[in-house]
Amino acid sequence: MTLPPTARRLAARRGIQAGLALCLGATLAACAGSADPDESAAGGGGDEQTVTFRSWSPIEQTTRQMIDSFTESNPDVTIDSTIFNYPEYIVDLQTRASSGTMPDIVGLQPGALTQQYREKLMPLEQCAADTWGDDWESKFHPVGLEQARMGNPEGDEHYYALPLLVQTVNLWANSELLDAAGVEPPATWADLQAAVATLGDAGDAAPFLLPAKDAWLRNVVFLQIANNLEPGRVYQAENGEVPWTDARIVEAFDYWSKLFTEGIAQDGALALDAYPNGVNQFEAGNAAMIPLGAWWIQQSDPSKTEIAPLSEGMAGYEPFLFPTLPGGAAESQLVGGIDVALGISADAANPDLACEVLTDWIAGDGGQVLINTFNDLPAVTGLDPEEFTSDKQEQIWNQLTQDWMPKVQWSRYFLSPEIDTAVADALAGVAAGQLTPQQAAESVQAVQDQQG
Amino acid sequence: MTAFTPPVPATRNTRVAGTGPRRPARRLTRERLVALGFIAPAVALFAVFVVYPIVFNVQSSLLDWDGVSAGTPVGLDNYRELFSDPVFHTTLRNSAFWIVLTIVPQAALGFTLAWLLNTRLRGRTVYRTLFFLPAVLSPVVVGIVWQRLLDPFNGVLAQLGRATGIDVLTRSYLSDPSTAIFAVIVVNVWMWTGFSMLFYLAGLQLVDHSVVEAARIDGATGWQLIRRIVLPLLKPTHLALLLLGIIGSLKTFELVWVLTEGGPNHASELMPTYLFKQAFQLQSFGYGATIAVVLLVVAVGSSLAMLRTFGSGFITGDRS
Repeated sequence: MTLPPTARRLAARRGIQAGLALCLGATLAACAGSADPDESAAGGGGDEQTVTFRSWSPIEQTTRQMIDSFTESNPDVTIDSTIFNYPEYIVDLQTRASSGTMPDIVGLQPGALTQQYREKLMPLEQCAADTWGDDWESKFHPVGLEQARMGNPEGDEHYYALPLLVQTVNLWANSELLDAAGVEPPATWADLQAAVATLGDAGDAAPFLLPAKDAWLRNVVFLQIANNLEPGRVYQAENGEVPWTDARIVEAFDYWSKLFTEGIAQDGALALDAYPNGVNQFEAGNAAMIPLGAWWIQQSDPSKTEIAPLSEGMAGYEPFLFPTLPGGAAESQLVGGIDVALGISADAANPDLACEVLTDWIAGDGGQVLINTFNDLPAVTGLDPEEFTSDKQEQIWNQLTQDWMPKVQWSRYFLSPEIDTAVADALAGVAAGQLTPQQAAESVQAVQDQQG
Repeated sequence: MTAFTPPVPATRNTRVAGTGPRRPARRLTRERLVALGFIAPAVALFAVFVVYPIVFNVQSSLLDWDGVSAGTPVGLDNYRELFSDPVFHTTLRNSAFWIVLTIVPQAALGFTLAWLLNTRLRGRTVYRTLFFLPAVLSPVVVGIVWQRLLDPFNGVLAQLGRATGIDVLTRSYLSDPSTAIFAVIVVNVWMWTGFSMLFYLAGLQLVDHSVVEAARIDGATGWQLIRRIVLPLLKPTHLALLLLGIIGSLKTFELVWVLTEGGPNHASELMPTYLFKQAFQLQSFGYGATIAVVLLVVAVGSSLAMLRTFGSGFITGDRS
């Protein structure tokens, strides 16, 4: 086709314009993939008396109280904080880190997330030692410290994050529903089957509400099952010491499958999220048991304006561990770890001030304010709420912090996000009936092989 | 084939043809500078907010990069991996379902509602508002509400189904891999039908009544009138909705994320949800950028194909 001269000129002009635009864009975008963009002198963009903080946890209202506690005793300090939902937070953090505007203090999860930002975080041992003395590590629950360094390269013993809150993952029972049906929290798999049958006949409430839409929840339930069958085997699989197709791991997938095929979990479990729908159902008394974790005690936070009747002083709940399984460990294993850890940007405008804030929130007055809200369990030992609203609440708190947390041996996290996702996908496939337990294990092994 | 005639303004056409009065060169240069001054802010914004992210994404797609540390150039490896990734194939299949099964029902329902509400119906303003309401709600709110409605354990539909014996209402649509994407599509149609209705209402009110009256006088009634007169006159509206529908389908994220997170086991995954998971949850920013580039190519390609097929004035109804 031959274009007339006017059209040719127009096309040429358009070509030049597009080329110029692309050149301009290419020049502007020359930094994609570079590790060290020009850092702003003040790290998070604040001055020396301002500390910037971004995280997904603790919740906004609690963070505000912690900030107020710190600034009351340090009136010349400003803490600029933003709390996001987790998905938004990881986008914000990645964008800020890659554009040289990382906040002074950031919320972190152990393992992959901390490792992703390791080069942009400062080691915290000196900060901890200056504040708490040389034996500062003895203040923390061991599993918290262990997980804080999870994934560090060999020989790197630094702490790039310190735990703020820790947790167990476990099951919770609605005491009223269980009492009414004459059922005890199940201790064995057979007990669980019997309890589900009895509770199913007793009323309309779901005997075992499993919010399996969430990948994290699928994984923590699976980790409880797998560790109850053969403690530690899944972590060996992740390290490549045994294959994922190991008979005990396949058996763990099989028990996960039985939650669905034997009618233990409610119908449509794969479509129910833990927050807000699952917990709303549980708090409304529509479920007898639910897998969550120690943080459920936050429902009884006395500073809340409205507390559901079941949550008032934890009147309607009791925690228990995932039942033991035939041929597995004699006792239920404790799985848990860090809920949220804090790190300080290597480019913080005033690292000493950031350290003061961080240590205050972990074990100082700010930490006390945080723990008073029952947000989760403290990473340090001996930090308890100043006030309990009921004996049951105090008894549950002591059980979680003194009986369970110090004995947590198994991590609720996988080290690699690829394996974490592969396991979550495999569990969804099994639950949906798309994969057999053997195929599920093979699919995780395939991802591991791909990773090398 | 007819000769190509670019759509140029009449005044320029006149000058190019050489029949208009010639202006002094200095004045022409000044006019050009002024014109450039006017378009410069738009060009600058376009460069920063459109060209820069596109080039950045293309560049990122050629890297093995977590988005924070230094990236490693891998050439086209991400593209090779993507095209052999079964989840990506699922996202393409789901996008095709989404485009067909949202645009057509939304248009049909939207037109029907608009036709009915374009009459002298009592309370029509209230009905129009009610039908349009879902379109102004946050997809997150819509997602949470529908998740509760569709919950087979304790949802409203399941309870209704159990009470009436209609088993189809008690099925677990969102947790079944074979139905999850269609359940989300139904919710999407519910949400956006009011938007289509509004477009058609505007279109119907622009239809020349004399043409409709002439058709009536000629004996056209009911379905005949709609099919042969009204629907053809609404062509710009159909095409505008088609274009918006395709682009909207390709960038849908929130509703799917809240309802299924792309699950179970990726059964309802779309390109934007998979992109988010790769870039931010799996720390594979380079791979996520590759999905973004493919998404961009598909979106631009389909828009250009429409422009090529229907002409640039198809939305306004201008012939070009």
